[in-house]
Amino acid sequence: MPVRPKRTGRPKRRLFTRRKVCRFCTDKELVLNYKEVKTLRNFVSERGKIIPRRIIGTCASHQRQLCSAIKRARQIALLPYAGTSHNQ
Amino acid sequence: MRRYETIFILRPSLAEKEITDVIDNTLKIINDDGGTVIELDKWGMRKLAYLIKKEKQGYYVFCDYAALPQSVAEMERKFRIDDSVLKYMTVKITASITEEEITAVKGAIEEKKVAAQKAVEDAEKAASAESTEKAAPEKKASPENKSEEKKEEKKEEQKEEVKEETEQKTGEEKEK
Repeated sequence: MPVRPKRTGRPKRRLFTRRKVCRFCTDKELVLNYKEVKTLRNFVSERGKIIPRRIIGTCASHQRQLCSAIKRARQIALLPYAGTSHNQ
Repeated sequence: MRRYETIFILRPSLAEKEITDVIDNTLKIINDDGGTVIELDKWGMRKLAYLIKKEKQGYYVFCDYAALPQSVAEMERKFRIDDSVLKYMTVKITASITEEEITAVKGAIEEKKVAAQKAVEDAEKAASAESTEKAAPEKKASPENKSEEKKEEKKEEQKEEVKEETEQKTGEEKEK
């Protein structure tokens, strides 16, 4: 379980620990598919890295599905492993 | 029968005949062992996220089918040998599927396609009714300019086919 950071006088940290709602739990229309590159791109950083769950706010089970979907999309060259896909 | 999804990427330099040959061979492998093809979707040319065998673009083909594991193994073996196939990926969707479920799923997919085409046609009619035909290509151009090219390309291919039909229809109507 992640430990909540104590008040060290860094207000930036506080913003991330706000309880966010999982995007997939609320919006039932959102399909978690490795083929839906548009939705997957929202959860991948500029460099192509998977954004951690504590920043986006997805629930654990959806984050696991999201991870496997992103990895499959990477395998089939819909998403890059590293770098942006416009790097060519 | 298990339900699988396979995506394979073909070399961009292939001729149309060769592309259809490869696809027909894979469908033959599925059908020979008693499987059924649920959906075959050619996504067409797409920019690859990274270089595969020094190719920047690839011809994507998506196939949703129900088959035995042996036919999947045979298909992948053929893909490995074939030079024109850059990459392939098979994903198992369900462990077992009955024939009734197959027909149900096929029907659902066809319904979705018809509904999507109708939506596009309605949008086209609204666009041409509001303004002249010159405005319609402008509206075509604005979604193209957005950075989300890849998904749009797939939809545009379908749209173009539908637009050709509707433009002919609207042309006839205006002549009348």
